[in-house]
Amino acid sequence: MNEHIVKSYEDELNSLAAECVRMGGLCEAQVADAVSGVVKRNQELASSVVVRDDKLDEAERDIERKTIRLIALRQPVADDLRRAVAAMKVANNLERCGDLAKNIAKRTLVIIESDPLTPLTRSIERMGKLVLGRLSSVLDAYSRSDLERALAVWSQDDEVDEHYNSLFRELLTYMMGDPRTITACAHMLFVAKNLERIGDHATNIAEIVHYQITGAEMVGGRPKTDGLA
Amino acid sequence: MPAPQLYAALVDALPDPILVVTGLERDDLTGRRYILANAAARELLRITAEEGMLLSAVRDPEVLGAVDRALFDEADTEGFYETTGAQTRSLRVRARSLGRGLDGTRLALLTFHDETEVRRVERTRVDFLANASHELRTPLASLSGFIETLRGHAKDDPAARDKFLGIMQAQADRMARLIADLTSLSRIELDEHVAPKGVVDLVLLVGEVVEAAAPLGAQRRIKLDWRPCAAGSVSVRGERDQIVQVVQNLIDNAIKYSPDGAAVRVELQSGLTDLAAAASPEGVPRLSLVAPDPSAETYASLRIVDLGPGIARQNLPRLSERFYRVDGQKSGARSGTGLGLAIVKHIMNRHRGGLVVASAEGEGSTFTAYFPMASAPDVPPGGVVKAS
Repeated sequence: MNEHIVKSYEDELNSLAAECVRMGGLCEAQVADAVSGVVKRNQELASSVVVRDDKLDEAERDIERKTIRLIALRQPVADDLRRAVAAMKVANNLERCGDLAKNIAKRTLVIIESDPLTPLTRSIERMGKLVLGRLSSVLDAYSRSDLERALAVWSQDDEVDEHYNSLFRELLTYMMGDPRTITACAHMLFVAKNLERIGDHATNIAEIVHYQITGAEMVGGRPKTDGLA
Repeated sequence: MPAPQLYAALVDALPDPILVVTGLERDDLTGRRYILANAAARELLRITAEEGMLLSAVRDPEVLGAVDRALFDEADTEGFYETTGAQTRSLRVRARSLGRGLDGTRLALLTFHDETEVRRVERTRVDFLANASHELRTPLASLSGFIETLRGHAKDDPAARDKFLGIMQAQADRMARLIADLTSLSRIELDEHVAPKGVVDLVLLVGEVVEAAAPLGAQRRIKLDWRPCAAGSVSVRGERDQIVQVVQNLIDNAIKYSPDGAAVRVELQSGLTDLAAAASPEGVPRLSLVAPDPSAETYASLRIVDLGPGIARQNLPRLSERFYRVDGQKSGARSGTGLGLAIVKHIMNRHRGGLVVASAEGEGSTFTAYFPMASAPDVPPGGVVKAS
């Protein structure tokens, strides 16, 4: 045991970012499994998403603790301070994504009790794929400090909103057509809303990456189509 | 003994992605690095460097878990990895321990094997079953609904009864069409890899189909403008019934999507050698639904041009998908089964022909089918037709 117990400052910052990236991987898997669970009506998968959410919560607490410790002991400035703060904020957003994925999984357990709504799950799948693509893209941007990729994610928010709006209308027609589907459709609506919010968190992370790299905040409003469906 | 450079080149040229990972300690995340990534791995994981931090290349928990087990428990582990993005790839991941390197660090080998195609095929089958039953259920539900009404409220109302019986007839016809299409699709699929025998004269055949379709067009004052090429006859290799089906489906579609009173042009050309030169009008998006076999030398092309609403660019790739209908066509008066183009695609595939669609919204659509022309001896090369 003659290795250095105390890692260097730089190492500590690097491993903080690495832990965020690993947490990001966990979060991606949670979202992917949650979507796959609702699409394939897989009870087992949905239950496992609910159970695994604890891991994400723990990872967030861990990262927060380490960041505070680093700030207190090393008193970083400029770039280093931004990296530390960014790690904490990214972890925070990822934990929220995890909660939303868990919520999707919980609703899945209710949804699968009623009859399948095949055309709808197809739309949910498309939207899930889109949101997951954004999340994964922004995590790539974070792990490789790629400003351009972060900006690309940031500026393409409206696509998810469009999907959400069209799903909203689709759900309304279903509920009006057959009141027996209302329970499942109402839950589907929340599933879609949760996906949309996961997309928003991806946008937030893109803003954090921008701040970490440039030190400046994003200027100008996000491109938005009308807010409500 | 081959030189080390050869080994390096060998690994780099392997088609499956391969990574070699080192690790120091279990709780040291940044210590887990990849020290070798072949070209396939760099492409898959979108990394540029041949070495770097493992987490910057992969962050999938399943893969990371497999790496950990191989590194620290020296256990071989399998996992599953899916890429996100426009084109999802599904890969089986294997992590194997490589023991310890010269400097005492732990080493593991991570290999990926692409299973996208297998999964896609599986998925298509499942989708097909679901779609087929869904398509059949809709007319069936409406039939039983009307039967219920006829036995109840509408029992003594002759006007309503006639109206309902008409709708029921239409729904029953729709189911019959669907089942006929499904059967013919499955028969075509069975024979898809058997080369067709026989020679067909396209001029005669298309002429007959156009004649048969004329009354259908006349109902909506649509004129079929048939322009055979100058040559008296055009012989192509193929099975007569199937080619009739191709021509019929394409002409039916053209009529279906034409506005009342418009004309549908049917043109035949023969002796084409350079297919690229025979392209459609400039500037209109075009897409090959079936790419012709490059080994055949000469083709005859059948072009069917309509003046309908056209097809948006983003919908073109999905055209030959089963049960796919461009939005808004589902409730049309003459709704089809959604299988017509899938059938055409499979037949053209079997005949080693080509199918190209060129269309833009508001500018009509042009479908062009390319048939390989029969060579002089009228027998497929290498294939001897037995007269048993």
